[in-house]
Amino acid sequence: MGREVSESCIDSLLTEVVSTYCNRFYANKPELAARRIEAIGYQVGHQLSERYTMERPRFSDHLEAIKFICKDFWFELFKKQIDNLKTNHRGTFVLQDNRFCWLTRMSIDQSPENGTSEELSIMADNKAMQSMHLYFPCGIIRGALSNLGIPCAVSADISNLPACSFVIRIKA
Amino acid sequence: MIVCVAVVGHQNNPLYIQSFTDADDALKLHHIVHCSLDVVDERVNNPKKSGPTLNETFLGLLYPTENYKVYGYLTNTKVKFILVTTDLDVRDADVRNVSIIVPCIELYYKSMNL
Repeated sequence: MGREVSESCIDSLLTEVVSTYCNRFYANKPELAARRIEAIGYQVGHQLSERYTMERPRFSDHLEAIKFICKDFWFELFKKQIDNLKTNHRGTFVLQDNRFCWLTRMSIDQSPENGTSEELSIMADNKAMQSMHLYFPCGIIRGALSNLGIPCAVSADISNLPACSFVIRIKA
Repeated sequence: MIVCVAVVGHQNNPLYIQSFTDADDALKLHHIVHCSLDVVDERVNNPKKSGPTLNETFLGLLYPTENYKVYGYLTNTKVKFILVTTDLDVRDADVRNVSIIVPCIELYYKSMNL
């Protein structure tokens, strides 16, 4: 639409948003911080889906809408498509991105498996911090789908960075 | 001559209705727009009757009344654009191609800052 913004700016902004919400606004309430970030993502996804479905023919079913998210929507946001889409044909979809744009700058823990309890708790903290960064994209997906008339719940899973998968459960 | 333009949200809530005639007719035009919402829903929910145009955004002529013709356009996010015109010579293709609906839609997106 003619307005542009730099990618590194977005990257830094999102990192800072997560950091501020977790450490300053809702310092001891990570669930509230997560919900606020997800709500921001919901708004963004809601409006983006309005913009990106402008000229297209309408979707005939849920699968078409999910495919739109995987291909065109993801392409507009991240310049690439979702690498893998799985479904159980009963309302659950798993979208896998092998190199998620906003996670590429995150360090990967190379700790050994038999670490001390201290190291393990630090690793657990790191995992929690990393998953905080995924609430925003989850919100984006949820907002986009609900604007297309598909209420759903979205959760994310990072077992190996920078790949991550989003699980979409459509509410019946 | 276009007599009324309406933008209706996805829960059939009116977002914008503007009629371009004398005030007496305004209520009648509102009623016509309201009735056309039912026609839109019917078109969307009855795939057998709509046939090949099921996934088109432009719904075409919704229904003709005594001296008006009503056209509809439905976006993916269930926002409906209803156009009421008195011009009995106008055809489907004209409204679709000759940028009548398209500027409306573009103005809508601009005003929403999309």
